[in-house]
Amino acid sequence: MLAPLLALLGVFVVWPLVHAAYISFYTWSFYESPVFVGLGNYLDVLTDHEFVGAVLRGLAFSAMVVPAQVAVAFVFAVLVKSLSRRMAAFMKVTIYIPAVISEVIAAIVFSLIYTHRGGLLNWFLALLGKQEDTAWLGESGTALAAVAVPAVWLGVGVASLIMLAGLLDIPETYYECASLDGAGPWTKMFRITLPLMKNIILFLLVTGFAASLQFLVLPLVMTQGGPVDSTTLPNLFIFRHFTNDLYIGYSIAAALLLFAVLGAVSAVIFRLVRSEKAMDG
Amino acid sequence: MIGRVIRYGTAALFTVAALFPLAWMAVAGFKAKTEVVATPFQFFPEMWRWENYALLLGDAAFLRSLAVTFTGAVLFAMLSLAVNALGAYAFARLDFALKRTLWFVVITTMFVPGIAIMLTSFVVVTQLGMLDSLAVLVIPGAASGLQVFFLRQYYLGLPVALEEAAQLDGAGPWRVFLHIFVPLSKGAFVVVGVTSFLAFWNAYIWPVLTITDPELFQVQQYLATFRSDRSSEMGLLMAGSTLAALPVIVLFLCFQRHIIAGIRISGLK
Repeated sequence: MLAPLLALLGVFVVWPLVHAAYISFYTWSFYESPVFVGLGNYLDVLTDHEFVGAVLRGLAFSAMVVPAQVAVAFVFAVLVKSLSRRMAAFMKVTIYIPAVISEVIAAIVFSLIYTHRGGLLNWFLALLGKQEDTAWLGESGTALAAVAVPAVWLGVGVASLIMLAGLLDIPETYYECASLDGAGPWTKMFRITLPLMKNIILFLLVTGFAASLQFLVLPLVMTQGGPVDSTTLPNLFIFRHFTNDLYIGYSIAAALLLFAVLGAVSAVIFRLVRSEKAMDG
Repeated sequence: MIGRVIRYGTAALFTVAALFPLAWMAVAGFKAKTEVVATPFQFFPEMWRWENYALLLGDAAFLRSLAVTFTGAVLFAMLSLAVNALGAYAFARLDFALKRTLWFVVITTMFVPGIAIMLTSFVVVTQLGMLDSLAVLVIPGAASGLQVFFLRQYYLGLPVALEEAAQLDGAGPWRVFLHIFVPLSKGAFVVVGVTSFLAFWNAYIWPVLTITDPELFQVQQYLATFRSDRSSEMGLLMAGSTLAALPVIVLFLCFQRHIIAGIRISGLK
């Protein structure tokens, strides 16, 4: 009963991973026999300012996407808790709909919203009194943030529902007791809700961070990484090397380096969250 | 009173932020190509034109990409259900050699990001001669550590007493799985099946790498190619995006109750 699972995971996940680790120590191409270079590929990656730039850009991108996503999810959860049952059900479905949309479609729609001349966003901002049109995706100052918005839009549904589930788990009696002691809404927020939501917020920050570092299709379709690499996120950087380089030890080393760290971080958090739950019974 | 206004105002804001881009997309599909991006902005078209939608629904290449992607997504959902549910059952109920080690391996695969194995997976499917076939899209991603984890959690929650009677009557693990576990798994299967379907339908990078035969183009590939080749045909592009988004939105709406409940389970519990 286990055979199909182990066979598929073995052939399409475990073996490729082992093979990738192996290749990362060689100069390897489809056409020649590999030559051992030790840590050469890793050194090349670490000293490549383009790679370092892509990683820093990835961190900046995460810093835009993740806090926005978690904050929106929190407001959503607090709001939905206060709504009637029917409204709450409607809002839960609504917030999740963007989560089923593909990155390609999100990229297409948001690119059109950002259009320089005649685009919806510029028209709207002009109504509010902004003088000049901005080429949101065409200027290196705004492009990254412009890609971050659809990233939040796509990811916020899942985060919101997890946040809401956590919020609803806090026993109502806590709030009732606090009310009897004369606590106002802000006191309840800072003394009860936020401390008890700490784990869930941490979980969402970490999973959000890991997910945001892996966006590839959005920048690929919206900007191809431009202008002047301002939206070349880490995965897009690696993907481009994959598809352009003859020798792929380099890009494999980059991918492994980046995600060994990321994978380790998420694995640790996963264990922490799980073990705490286990202790709670 | 003020609290109510704020509540409903915020709810309206969330609704608009979530749905406006999609509503605009669908309506823009009814516009002429010069009308989609124009100042002053108008949400509704001057005149509702069916041409874009009609053109796409008469376009053999587009219809084929929808049909091929749909077929692939259904096969993918069924295969991943079969493989992952069997594995989850084995890990939840059976004893076998190296169980702990194998479980560790399965869990670890959850944390391997696609990009790290993208190229070596490509090497594997090339050597297996799978390029340019539906199999290359359906088979490699079907086994999923995350889905095994999710289903195993669910099975661990089912009381052992359920199968003990059957085992006394001499039923083996296959019978127990097929006659006791499968019928009880409806909700969990819906979550896993729909998730797989969505992942397949929305995939772009893996099809781009492995499919060059236009006969097998996936719907996201079709859209991205359309966008880069005929970027001025915006009405048509929006209509195409709408038609490509419609199946997954409908699917989600049909099963929303299960999926939303599933997030509760898979999140932290």
